[in-house]
Amino acid sequence: MSEDSPALRLKGVTKRFGEHTAVDSFDFEVPRGVICGLLGPNGSGKTTSIRMIMGILGPDEGSVSLFGQDPDVVRRAKVGYLPEERGVYKKMKCLELITFLGEIRGLRRGEARRRGGDWLDRMGLTDWAEKKVEDLSKGMQQKIQFIGTVIHEPELLILDEPFSGLDPINQDVLEEIVREYHARGTTIVFSTHLMDQAERLCERVCLISKSRKVLDGDLKEIKAAERRGIVAVEFEGPDTWIQGPEIDRIERKEGSLHLILKDGQDHQHILNRAVASGARILRFDLIEPRLHEIFVRHAGEGLVGGAGMADGPRSASADGLTHFGTA
Amino acid sequence: MWHNVIAVIRREYLQRVRSKWFIAATVAGPLLMAAVTVLPAWLAIQGERDEFRLAIVDGTGVLSERLVPRLENGGFEVEEVRWHADVVTELRERANGGDLGGFIMVDELTLETGEAIYYSMDVPSGLRRVTVQTSITRTALEYQLEQRGVDAEGLMGGGALEIEVISEAGSDITEVGFGLAYIGSFFLYMTILLYAVAVMRATLEEKTSRIVEVIISAMRPWELMLGKIVGVCAVSLTQMAIWISAAAALIAGGIPMIIAARPELTNLSSIGEIVPGISLVILFLGFFLFGFLMYSGLYAAVGAMCNTDEEAQQAQFPMIMLLIVPILMVMPVIQEPNTPMAVWLSLFPLFSPILMWARVAGGGVPSWQVLLSFILMALMVWVIAWIAGRIYKVGILMSGKRPTLPELWRWVKEA
Repeated sequence: MSEDSPALRLKGVTKRFGEHTAVDSFDFEVPRGVICGLLGPNGSGKTTSIRMIMGILGPDEGSVSLFGQDPDVVRRAKVGYLPEERGVYKKMKCLELITFLGEIRGLRRGEARRRGGDWLDRMGLTDWAEKKVEDLSKGMQQKIQFIGTVIHEPELLILDEPFSGLDPINQDVLEEIVREYHARGTTIVFSTHLMDQAERLCERVCLISKSRKVLDGDLKEIKAAERRGIVAVEFEGPDTWIQGPEIDRIERKEGSLHLILKDGQDHQHILNRAVASGARILRFDLIEPRLHEIFVRHAGEGLVGGAGMADGPRSASADGLTHFGTA
Repeated sequence: MWHNVIAVIRREYLQRVRSKWFIAATVAGPLLMAAVTVLPAWLAIQGERDEFRLAIVDGTGVLSERLVPRLENGGFEVEEVRWHADVVTELRERANGGDLGGFIMVDELTLETGEAIYYSMDVPSGLRRVTVQTSITRTALEYQLEQRGVDAEGLMGGGALEIEVISEAGSDITEVGFGLAYIGSFFLYMTILLYAVAVMRATLEEKTSRIVEVIISAMRPWELMLGKIVGVCAVSLTQMAIWISAAAALIAGGIPMIIAARPELTNLSSIGEIVPGISLVILFLGFFLFGFLMYSGLYAAVGAMCNTDEEAQQAQFPMIMLLIVPILMVMPVIQEPNTPMAVWLSLFPLFSPILMWARVAGGGVPSWQVLLSFILMALMVWVIAWIAGRIYKVGILMSGKRPTLPELWRWVKEA
């Protein structure tokens, strides 16, 4: 394998369940050492894609490679996986479960046990080591499962909705750990429908909607490319210049005015007109779009019309929409 | 690769062996066995100690000479008392004073009809009653026959009936062999079913709890399935080893104790005959092992293809049938173990554990047939592993509705 091959590469991956295409010719690459968010409403195909990466489902078309290699060869030792549906052996003692999960990832038993103990200390669960998993709260169970995911120090972490079900404090704990692994050079791919979280954590994002990829790339570049159309202004003096053919509508927000431009119009005309009018400009700011807005812009239809796209009994769009932007 | 399998085996084994259920069943089994066999006998001995002191009043003058030793052999402590007018009153008083458990009056009528009176402090147990009664009638009969110059010994010993089996299919099974075959078959049926279902439940639990996703991303499905089956198998063998040693200890230690304490139960010594030989124990374990391997494979596949307990209950129906049919055939096969039907049925691998055992325990099965049945079972294990492994591989990650038979076949072909 070559050192520069990406940690994860999907080529034209397609998965169908009967009539329904869950993932449609998905191309996706994650360079090494990057935190990448896989974003989309429920039922958009995130979990199906992740399951194909983990070899749980076989793609109908296309191929998956990890670190430029056959995923079946690399997966066990190099990848850590936290599934969306959290499964644990409820009757096992916490430390035993963690040890077992380490063992099947290739660790020696003693080593797995030692690391498991360290992790329990770190998570503040030392007293629970010899307790049965079923006696723990849901949040604690999730921590145990997370420890099981990272116990073998994987080079690639695949986390399916890692933050769901965690209280804010534990979300912060998890976020901190994810950043720590990132700092060590671990590649992290996580799916979420919480745009704020993705915006804070991710260097790259991949937006999927209705089984298709709609946007993919470096988050900063995406935002720069999408930075058009809204200008926040604050000024003193004449306001005639804010009216013009470029402007679609005006909104008042937090003490400033948001000028929403028509498609393809240049904000430079407005600035020229403002200067000419003699107004004193306090702020003339191209608003960087929120990830949420970018997503809505690209997949608005997918969000609104997403119901029925769910790959399970959950209904997709309503839940997706309420989380976007508000979380 | 084996690292994974061993990890799965160890987990499965330790989890189960440490569970309360296992400890309860393993310990409680032998205890229960001991409780229902040894305890009542022991209690009876304790309770009846006093009642074994008997007095005999012989009005004939000829019976007691033989009757006393006979009763003593039966475990009684016998005292001979001469007949006099107030003997009944006297002995009653002694008995009430705790000196005697009871007394027996025999007279001329006894010599003719075998009738006698047994004055007892309590209602005698059936066994005690029979021992006393047969002792008296035998003694009387012996006396009568002797008076006529007949050899009483042979006749009184119950005679002998020599059995020669002349039909080929006939069974020369003893009662003991019959018991072993019959009880053993049921025990095999129950244990195979119990542990195969345990494999199914474990599979189903992993599937529904979704932990299987994590495990399968780290190992191949067959590694998980193999580890699971071997783990449960080790648990079952552990349990059987405990049971068998407990039974051995019970037989070796318990029965002589009972016999020593209660000589009239000497016919218990024939239990020594039903204690299976070591080779029979090994055969039994062999039938269990192969039966378990075949059925646990099938049950693992059922667990993998279902999503709920209810579905699994329904889907295991064919397997239950495969186990019930030989159980229904056990009786006829034990009675006529060498008919062509018995031979063929017992050679069918899925029936062999139960039916071949039934024949073997009864005795008189050519060893080539036993060997052949093991070879066929080994082949069957391989075939089932191949098919079930494929169903398992697809099913374990599949959610949604249970597959139909054609779908199952597609899984097997495509996996």
